[in-house]
Amino acid sequence: MAPNVDPARLAIFDSLVSSIAEEMGAALRHTALSPNIKERADFSCAVFDREGQLLAQAAHIPVHLGAMPESVSAVALLAPWQPGDLAILNDPFLGGTHLPDVTMVSPVFARDAADGDDPIGYVASRAHQADIGGMAPGSMPVARELIQEGIVIPPIRLFRAGELVEEALTLILRNVRTPDERRGDFNAQIAAQRLGERRIADLHADYGDDRYVQTAAALLDYGERLTRAQLAQLPFGTWTFEDSLDDDGHTPEPVPIRLRLSIAEDLVHFDFSDSAPQRAASINAVAPVTRSACYYVIRCLLPPETPMNGGLFRPISFTLPDHSVVAASPPVAVAAGNVETSQRIVDTVWGAFNQLLPERMPAASSGTMNNLTAGGIDPRSGQPWAYYETSGGGLGGAPDGPGLDAAHSHMTNTLNTPAEAIELAYPLRVLENSIRPRSGGRGQQRGGHGLVRRTQFLGAAQVTLITERRTQQAWGVQGGDPGKPGRNTLETKTASGKPTRRRLPGKITIDVDEGDIIRVETPGGGGWGAPRRRSSPR
Amino acid sequence: MPNQPAREPTSRAARLLGVDVGGTFTDFVYLTEDGVQIAKRPSTPDDPGRAIVSGLAEFGWTPDGVVHGSTVATNTLLTRTGAPTALITTTGFRDTLAIGRQARPDLYALHPERHPPLIPQRLSFEVDERVSADGEVLTPLDPHELEAVLDQIEATGVDSVAICFLFSFINPEHEQRAADAARARGLSVSASHDILPQHREFERMSTTAANAYLAPVMTRYLDSLAARLEDGVASSPRLRVMQSNGGSLSAASAGHNAVRTVLSGPAGGVSGAFAAAETDGFPQAITFDMGGTSADVALCPGRLLERTDLLVDDMPIRTPAVDLHTVGAGGGSIAWFDPGGALRVGPQSAGAQPGPAAYGRSTLPTVTDAHVVLGRLRPEQQLGGTVSLDVERARSAIAAVAEPFGSVEVAAQAIIDVVNSNMARALRVISVERGYDPVRFTLVAFGGAGPLHACDLADAVGIPQALIPPAPGVLSASGMLIADITRDAEQGLHLSIAADAAGAVPELDGAFDTLAGHARRALADDGYEADVTVEFAADLRYQGQSHELTVALDAGLHTGVHAEVVRSAFHEAHAERFGFSSLDTAVEVVTARVKARHAGFQGDMSVNQTAEQTAPRTIDVRWDRSRPTTVLARGSLSSRLAGPAIITQLDTTVTVPPGWRAEPLPSGSLLLTRTGEG
Repeated sequence: MAPNVDPARLAIFDSLVSSIAEEMGAALRHTALSPNIKERADFSCAVFDREGQLLAQAAHIPVHLGAMPESVSAVALLAPWQPGDLAILNDPFLGGTHLPDVTMVSPVFARDAADGDDPIGYVASRAHQADIGGMAPGSMPVARELIQEGIVIPPIRLFRAGELVEEALTLILRNVRTPDERRGDFNAQIAAQRLGERRIADLHADYGDDRYVQTAAALLDYGERLTRAQLAQLPFGTWTFEDSLDDDGHTPEPVPIRLRLSIAEDLVHFDFSDSAPQRAASINAVAPVTRSACYYVIRCLLPPETPMNGGLFRPISFTLPDHSVVAASPPVAVAAGNVETSQRIVDTVWGAFNQLLPERMPAASSGTMNNLTAGGIDPRSGQPWAYYETSGGGLGGAPDGPGLDAAHSHMTNTLNTPAEAIELAYPLRVLENSIRPRSGGRGQQRGGHGLVRRTQFLGAAQVTLITERRTQQAWGVQGGDPGKPGRNTLETKTASGKPTRRRLPGKITIDVDEGDIIRVETPGGGGWGAPRRRSSPR
Repeated sequence: MPNQPAREPTSRAARLLGVDVGGTFTDFVYLTEDGVQIAKRPSTPDDPGRAIVSGLAEFGWTPDGVVHGSTVATNTLLTRTGAPTALITTTGFRDTLAIGRQARPDLYALHPERHPPLIPQRLSFEVDERVSADGEVLTPLDPHELEAVLDQIEATGVDSVAICFLFSFINPEHEQRAADAARARGLSVSASHDILPQHREFERMSTTAANAYLAPVMTRYLDSLAARLEDGVASSPRLRVMQSNGGSLSAASAGHNAVRTVLSGPAGGVSGAFAAAETDGFPQAITFDMGGTSADVALCPGRLLERTDLLVDDMPIRTPAVDLHTVGAGGGSIAWFDPGGALRVGPQSAGAQPGPAAYGRSTLPTVTDAHVVLGRLRPEQQLGGTVSLDVERARSAIAAVAEPFGSVEVAAQAIIDVVNSNMARALRVISVERGYDPVRFTLVAFGGAGPLHACDLADAVGIPQALIPPAPGVLSASGMLIADITRDAEQGLHLSIAADAAGAVPELDGAFDTLAGHARRALADDGYEADVTVEFAADLRYQGQSHELTVALDAGLHTGVHAEVVRSAFHEAHAERFGFSSLDTAVEVVTARVKARHAGFQGDMSVNQTAEQTAPRTIDVRWDRSRPTTVLARGSLSSRLAGPAIITQLDTTVTVPPGWRAEPLPSGSLLLTRTGEG
């Protein structure tokens, strides 16, 4: 324990910095324009110390977990800082994850800072923007190169000493489909940043520099102790597991992810050396995404009230080969790496932990976010529109009960957009949002069932589906059956007007006509334990 | 209130009872021309009305009006003991309650679980009807299909049915037809356009389902209570129920709108605390109710705030409720070390059973034990007149967690610091996070443990003064007694006011007229036709946003709603709440809200303190260090007293730390002010 920081002071400081991150999140969510941020809460806010170590994070989305310190390191190249500076970035190879996730980082200065003083810390916010340009509305295309996925923003200043850098904003907004909405969401993010800066400066002033630094260091040490205490209870050894993505969207071969997990004393090492090389496709994950996936599983093993700070991650190390699907290098595309490959990385880690903790770990969950992006010109208003939705599936059956139906799993927990909100905002009609019967894997505890979602287009539009587990099923454990794979279907009409159905691949961009319906059936979760064959499947 | 009607001459002669049925105690506040009397009796959870009726018989009280705070709705939801209920909805949406918003409640649970929906899938039915977002009928409702579904529902034997069709808040025609057909078969019916005419199908369906589930239970309970009151008290009192938003509702209406009473008890507390603060001239108040397991805080910036995003067991209940924030911090909260070595307090609580170590039945180190160790709760005191405190037992409980602190006293103070920081976080959420500066507010502390923590908590968030009402133990019941009689009416709209729009907004005017008519008629049906004021508000947002702010639109409404008025009210509210406004963006009107109000009792509520007089003593109590501290009974305090001091009364203890002073006010309240001295 760091000197002079007693166990009560620690809990109090944690409560204070965490409430600052949460307050930033509340401000961002309430003032943002796009449903993606407001309704689906696809954002995170975080507070850092002067060395860029994470002190607290309000994460609604585990895929953002522990990935923001990379953004703070990436903006270091912009130093020296002045009060009022604010950096923006989305470059996945320089502090970002995938292009729609736009991150802002700003330095925080002491209330009594003199010219030339260094920041006392940083605050950061990351929000998934509904469109950031590129070859398809919603910026989640079936792409090969990063440059196809949208505008790439390396770390640059959006504000210099409190003054907006107009040219930078103009350039970005000229490269996106819905600039007014983007401007609104950026404003919300800026408001959250400014709020976080003020709150941290207040807290620092209240504590005084020495005590602030000392308590922050003690908080990180404390996080480290929490993880070590948990790891020390696990058996030592090495375990391997392999799972695969269905395909990369261009070629039909599965994309394997292979893990060698080692636990020794109170340290854990994730070695992904034997995973597939990166593809000229969008399923590549950058290293921060892979680390987030691993952090997420460790976090699930920690006690419920565990605070979120960088200390938790200190006992965790990685081997991530460059130019691989788990640590992509330029110039490949990465959009699906963040949303889909991240899920498969969790499944792989989950499978490895299933071998050492069979009495605790559930089976595999649906393992996909079932991303649907769509856009076009609204026939009612003549205005462009862009819509992004992810859908949950079945969760894995667990030793103590069946898996949840129709829920988001692992790396995401975004809300669905209400059918009534969709129809008020977009030229769309939701015809069905129901639980997909018998899709969960059978077992002593069955896997959760997936969803059926049918969306009708009231005008011509371009639609992109980035979905997974259409061929590779969510596996069961202890003899449980795998979940049913997902399925995408276009319900349309032939030239003669006859209704017809066309099975769609897991990853595709297509043009749809007025009246066409996209039906997405999401995968079920794996079952836990051998099913009693004579009982009914439900 | 500018349009306050003159007091009815009858109300002075009225005998009014506020009665709050809690989990442990049923609190009574009885008002007659002779003044206010208070009483507490053990609750009778198997039959909550019994404590009320037998209490009245015992006291010989004969109220002609009873306002009741009831936990029936909340308990029925939490224990899942409501009426068997079926759902009828639009084809394709039968599973909406189960899917919810598809999120899992706990991000990092290995095995996430959700509460099952109130209505299971086998009792959920679809009819093939559809209305578009602009209210156009795309698929007409087929009466034969509807009757066939009702046949199936009847066959299941349910009592109650929830009806929720897509876009019924824009065009309710299909829902109305389905509701009529279901009522014709003798079913209790809750239709979503009636219960919550607002967009977002899951939230509307959830609220409607909860109402359908509660209505038969609530109706039965209130009918039986009314009958027993007539029999037992022989005065046929007019029975009213506290709503979640702090207004009261006739028993008949409360039965049909049961979901509007889920925060009935806490709403009484907030209303009572705010009324006490207003009486003493502190309308900018933060109410703070700390009991054995949890603490409730609410911000009142000159008025009671309402919220519409309540969750009960993860179920959205979107009807208006007092804007309360609850944190798992109470006198019984247990101190423990997490695996990283940080001291945590709560959310687990020793509750009333087995209770803190000092109560003699456990060895759990709790907040109450910490106070006993530090000498702030006195062994000679009898909590609620029933429990005596075991100091040695408290000491050994705290000693069990004292190792890292060096002494039992330091550990005890640490426990109090941590629980205060948990509560301070809740206070910041409701004040600072919404743009309100705590320095402008007065903390109104009540509940068994509130007055023990008031000054510390005020210090932690920068509130300069705290108020302890005269009878902090029965504040909820007195809040019920004085509650205004209100009826709310809402209507979802789909209306945009362009950034440059000027002049009348006929759609909104029309909605307000209709809603005001509904609300006034509802009050008239309850017997309140005269002296009714009507308040107008709207849920507004900038075009493209999807969260709304409820903004009062009272100013200038006598000439109709003007676009300029709506816009400027919203810009102002948005700037106050979020720090900016967006003058060149269109404003959307999402919901029109009207509240009709008949003022409740507003006279003198001061309690005749049964003055427990004891001579002040001086003893050593540990604050930052051990200090000589004045200890006296509240009844003995007649002038200003500088801290450190401990002021005891039957149902609570007030601590006045060094740097604070206490001052009795004419109303009987105690004002605590930070002086910084000492």
